[in-house]
Amino acid sequence: MISCLHANLAACEAVLSDIDQQGIDTITCLGDLVGYGPQPNEVIELVRERSIPTCQGCWDEDIIDGLNACECSYPSQLAERRGHRAHHWAAERITENNKAFLASLPMTLRRDRLLFVHGSPNSQHEYLLPDMNAFAALERVETAGADTLFCGHTHQPYVRELSDGAIRVSVQKDGNHSDSEQEMILPMRRIVNAGSVGEPRHGSTKATYVVHDDDSGEVRVHEVEYDVATTCQAIVEAGLPEVFAWRLSHGFEYAERAEDASHVCER
Amino acid sequence: MERWALVSGLRGDLDLYEQIQADLQKQRGTAHLFVLGDMIGPHPNCDALLKRLRQPKRRDLQPHCIYGWQEEQLLSLHGYRGEAKAEELHRQSDESEVRRLLQAVGTEHLNWLASLQFGLIELDCGLIHGSSADVGDELDETTSPLILLDRLTRLEVNRLFTARSGRQFRLQLTGGQIRSKVRDHAGEQLNDQPVPRRSVIGVGSSGNYTLYDPASDHIEFRSVHDQLRAR
Amino acid sequence: MQNTWLITGPPGCGKTNWIRDTFLKHPGTCAYLRLSGSEQESLEQGHNAGIDSTWLKDQIPELSDLSMANDPLPSGPRLALIEVQQFRPPANSGPAGIDPYVLRQLERFELQPNRTMHFGLDPELPREDVLDFKHLESWHHDLQGCVWDPNSLSSFWFELVNGAYGDVYRAKALMNLPDGRSFLCNWIVSQQNSQFLPLEAVEPPIGRPNRTSHLVVQGRALNPAGIQSTIIDCLLTDDVLELHQAPLRNRQLAHQSNR
Repeated sequence: MISCLHANLAACEAVLSDIDQQGIDTITCLGDLVGYGPQPNEVIELVRERSIPTCQGCWDEDIIDGLNACECSYPSQLAERRGHRAHHWAAERITENNKAFLASLPMTLRRDRLLFVHGSPNSQHEYLLPDMNAFAALERVETAGADTLFCGHTHQPYVRELSDGAIRVSVQKDGNHSDSEQEMILPMRRIVNAGSVGEPRHGSTKATYVVHDDDSGEVRVHEVEYDVATTCQAIVEAGLPEVFAWRLSHGFEYAERAEDASHVCER
Repeated sequence: MERWALVSGLRGDLDLYEQIQADLQKQRGTAHLFVLGDMIGPHPNCDALLKRLRQPKRRDLQPHCIYGWQEEQLLSLHGYRGEAKAEELHRQSDESEVRRLLQAVGTEHLNWLASLQFGLIELDCGLIHGSSADVGDELDETTSPLILLDRLTRLEVNRLFTARSGRQFRLQLTGGQIRSKVRDHAGEQLNDQPVPRRSVIGVGSSGNYTLYDPASDHIEFRSVHDQLRAR
Repeated sequence: MQNTWLITGPPGCGKTNWIRDTFLKHPGTCAYLRLSGSEQESLEQGHNAGIDSTWLKDQIPELSDLSMANDPLPSGPRLALIEVQQFRPPANSGPAGIDPYVLRQLERFELQPNRTMHFGLDPELPREDVLDFKHLESWHHDLQGCVWDPNSLSSFWFELVNGAYGDVYRAKALMNLPDGRSFLCNWIVSQQNSQFLPLEAVEPPIGRPNRTSHLVVQGRALNPAGIQSTIIDCLLTDDVLELHQAPLRNRQLAHQSNR
């Protein structure tokens, strides 16, 4: 699973090359092919050429629907201005054909009991952070009818296992005196975040992706080094703000995202 | 601290509302009335009730209203909800019912209905028609405890009062736990999280309403029909 | 007893902080003057935008500003401190070692220091943070009347001191926030963290404040166009400023009427 490519061609090529070397042929993309980076068309075309099943990310949706008027997505005016500038830059350059492709992407993908989403099953904008309430996290997977949920959006890879869960309840109905006690045993479920290929934020500039072994169920996070300087040069040549190159080369997000961990952008 | 009365599903029935008000006034210690949506419905004329809610009579317990599913459908039909087109209503009702709903409410009430809040948070309690996931969220005593806990977590409240299902119940989370194991670039973290002691309360609908005492956390399910039968 | 001391040192060595502490300890009248040091080849002076004098006057309200010719000098025991940015220590100690460029300015102000101290040389002054600069560019930007989006200011400052706009060795600014506060932002490359010190004086949240606001940067391979572009993205327009300030004014009114 690869996610959050953000128009970073050098990172995408390095990751796909790394995947190919391991002989893995089922690749799923969790969205955000575009946004901030300098090569949106090239990255979309690479995904299309390789016929990689992809679900729609929040940036992909924004390119189709137009600018999201919700300001609460950005934690500062500076971040918002940069985000809007990046949006307009990308919207002007992505071909109509590639826009149609982004519009055709489904919200979720499913393979047996594996579910693939960008943010969460509820929304492309909901962050499933590793420290979110464990019961709420389990609810996301269980309500979606999956055993393992693969997501992106946070740009920080992790594997989370939720197990040994139970909830005991007592019910009081009309009449006020009839109480019944019940216990619900919770199934074991997992959430796996693939991190980001094009704009990693986990403290290093290496691109990340995850590999799931369908036989053993094992999940591993992979890090791939790529030539960041190539993308930085492309950013500058493309006329995008130079500070994007600096931020990328230091492993920072292009424009900081909202600090609120449970933020869901309501439209 | 005084008791709360929680009512829903009046659906334009002014007589029912007056009965509930009379019932409440007979009991001492109830000072706060919350109306959890569905004040309107495909009733011949909701305007009288709406007028009474907006301009209570002197003896009335002052109602605090939030919007519900019916209000949401009506506002969608009138274009107050952006692109939304009241699909749920169309799915559940035939054209004549949709028309009845439209005709039941005078346009002079629309702005007021649109100004109502989605829910209220009072003293660590969430008061909402469905849930913060959706105004049409039907939560009852058979709903998965995992989902009920999620709805409590979303609002970050200890008590969630909901009306959409029409059921009267109190479901208390009494125990349990879950283990979370996270593996990331920093290493592995293990966390055991207990189930918090919280409740979801279905307040009922129409003539069935609920009294709640925040001080003692006591719930009483009542019905105006009982009072009528008792006479 | 009249004391006039000349305090010199390279950028970011702590001259202004030491001067502030010294004034706070002095019981009598205090007077301050900042003079320009001479330009040396490849070492540009940080522009004297009035940041230091504004900060000091905020901290010591009775401070006399010797650069204001109209300020009558009070009689009685007085300590006058004159600050000059100077990269190299003087060749000789005492008045004989004063840079001729500085001497000419002193004569214009009719000041004769009876003591000179240089950071990195005089044991009385703190020894830390004295860096040896080989090449230094300087850039500054007037921010009079400008108000920052607070979170944007944090991001911008982070980028500035971490090299997004060139190798910054020294950055100093007075910045206005929409709630009427002004902050002294202070960074020197040898220190891990920046200082963000709020001024005592707070303007009412009614429009744009009328007081000194400026950014001075010293470093190498500076990118002024990049800095300026980011600053523009961080500053509030009139209507956004009003959105910030209106609730603050209403809150103040409510608070007053409740008393």
